[in-house]
Amino acid sequence: MKFSKLILRNVFRNKLRAILTVLLMAAIFFFIATLLSILENFTLFSEAGRGQNRLAVQSAISLANVLPVAHEQKIRQIPGIVDVCQMQWFGAYYKEPKNFFANFAIDHQHMRTVFDDYQTDDAQFAAFANDRQGTIVGPELMKRFGWKVGDRITLKSTIFPLNPELTIRGVYNHPIDTSSLFFHMDYFQHAMGDNGLVGMFWVKVKDRNNMTAVSKQIDDMFRNGTDPTETFTEKEFQLNFLSMMGDIKLLFHSISLCSIFMVILLAAITMSMSARERVTEIAVLKAIGFTRGLVLTLMLIEFTVLTLIGGIAGVLGGRVVYHFVNMTKVTQGFLVNFNLYTQSMIVCLIASIAVGLLAGGWPALRSANMSVVDGLRRVV
Amino acid sequence: METLVQIENVRKVYKRDEFEVPVLNGITVEVGRSDFLALMGPSGSGKTTLLNLIAGIDRPTAGRILVEGKEISRFSETALASWRARHVGFIFQLYNLIPVLNAFENVELPLLLTKLKKKERREHVTTALNIVGLGDRMFHYPRQLSGGQEQRVAIARAIVSDPTLLVADEPTGDLDAKNAEEILNLLARLNDEFDKTIIMVTHDPKAAVHARRTLHLEKGLLVEMVGAGMETISARAEA
Repeated sequence: MKFSKLILRNVFRNKLRAILTVLLMAAIFFFIATLLSILENFTLFSEAGRGQNRLAVQSAISLANVLPVAHEQKIRQIPGIVDVCQMQWFGAYYKEPKNFFANFAIDHQHMRTVFDDYQTDDAQFAAFANDRQGTIVGPELMKRFGWKVGDRITLKSTIFPLNPELTIRGVYNHPIDTSSLFFHMDYFQHAMGDNGLVGMFWVKVKDRNNMTAVSKQIDDMFRNGTDPTETFTEKEFQLNFLSMMGDIKLLFHSISLCSIFMVILLAAITMSMSARERVTEIAVLKAIGFTRGLVLTLMLIEFTVLTLIGGIAGVLGGRVVYHFVNMTKVTQGFLVNFNLYTQSMIVCLIASIAVGLLAGGWPALRSANMSVVDGLRRVV
Repeated sequence: METLVQIENVRKVYKRDEFEVPVLNGITVEVGRSDFLALMGPSGSGKTTLLNLIAGIDRPTAGRILVEGKEISRFSETALASWRARHVGFIFQLYNLIPVLNAFENVELPLLLTKLKKKERREHVTTALNIVGLGDRMFHYPRQLSGGQEQRVAIARAIVSDPTLLVADEPTGDLDAKNAEEILNLLARLNDEFDKTIIMVTHDPKAAVHARRTLHLEKGLLVEMVGAGMETISARAEA
């Protein structure tokens, strides 16, 4: 484009201002991309591997309420179900509360069929299955605490009156979840006095197209009983789980929008200054034949280039930061395998273009509409 | 002399808040092709306004302005911009070069609006800069040039697209006597050798000497005409 030189020179005509604007944009879009990627991280977790034909069955009252273990046999009667696995969120930490991570009691006999995306070496899984105090652990967690297979560890629960002593029998592999710990449901139930209650069931469905029907049948089965259920797809369950912390999606999106609004205002100030100090130059361009539309286009491109550079710097900077910073460790397992995701980065880049257009729109329009004579008045 | 510009009973009134300020009160004048016309007069006499109207960067309140027979005051905003790009070269008192572009790029600006290829643009720019004697300063930025050199670059920018008309508003107003003389000689040369039609606003009688004709304005009226070829000019001052 023959005007590219003019545009680029104007973008960086005041180097300090341009650099500060780019840094501001970069910081804001780094922040927004991080928020969006956190949401995406949660969603990806639920969609990883072949887990998409899993259903989560929880108490219709809330996730914190328990269900009778006896529900399992009834659920198994429904056609189209491959397997059912009991699971209990245990909510323990290792040694100190800051060492918190995801840990569950699980029915090991049905774990491999329902959670077939969690791969474990057969020998290690057999060792785990044969040891009621055995546990299998994600590789990130092993690395985080320097554990080795065979190590004995003690967890401290924040929910139950039980501090299980466990022996690490194996390490599982999973494309997303690399920081969880699973131990025997038998061990948990025995310690709890075999009260016949469990947190939830995971149901593997044969045909993904049949998920809604199976889900409805499960809930219908218990609707009029004393322990009604509510069944979700894994993705819905994950998002519901997050909603226990409030409407985190709404919160993150609101923060992102507020950030964008603020950055538009700040960029508008910068761009107004830039346009105002070039009143005479713009008048000269118009005098020598640059049309109103061309002036408007050039200025909008200039402003948008500036914000887009900031956006690119923010998301690429984020990629680099999260490549070197182990967010699993920093967030104590809350974010697993975290980095900025392509979709979030694209959203940020589009938003950075929008910021350029919105913030620069008014100054550019005012400059384009300015009368040549008024613009030259200072010197003519 | 073939008539290039016809100004017929032109009035211009500016509105300043609730006040109307008459600047030109009915000017009729013709400018021939290849003429070099100086517009003189005290501040507020309307000479710059008249220049702006002829150059198509302002519109008259009443009357007609024709250039090569076309009534430019009827053109749309976009058509007028395109017309200026093809037909008018501007020279300003304070040069008004774009500070982020070097001399070559400043001169190239008007050509960016044409369909010329890069190589053709380069040839035109080089020629224009050589004409003004700055072939060796092509890649200097305005801050690296003296006032006289900056004005030369501005003149190169004005002539690079070979316009029909050059308009200069106090082109020597910000220069010392030596540089002013050089610039005026350059304008005279453009008029003599390249047949450029030049209309120049100036306060300086010494500058006006370089023009073929001089029109004096006072309070928006044409009061005097001096110079060769007066017999071909009809000028009328209407009170």
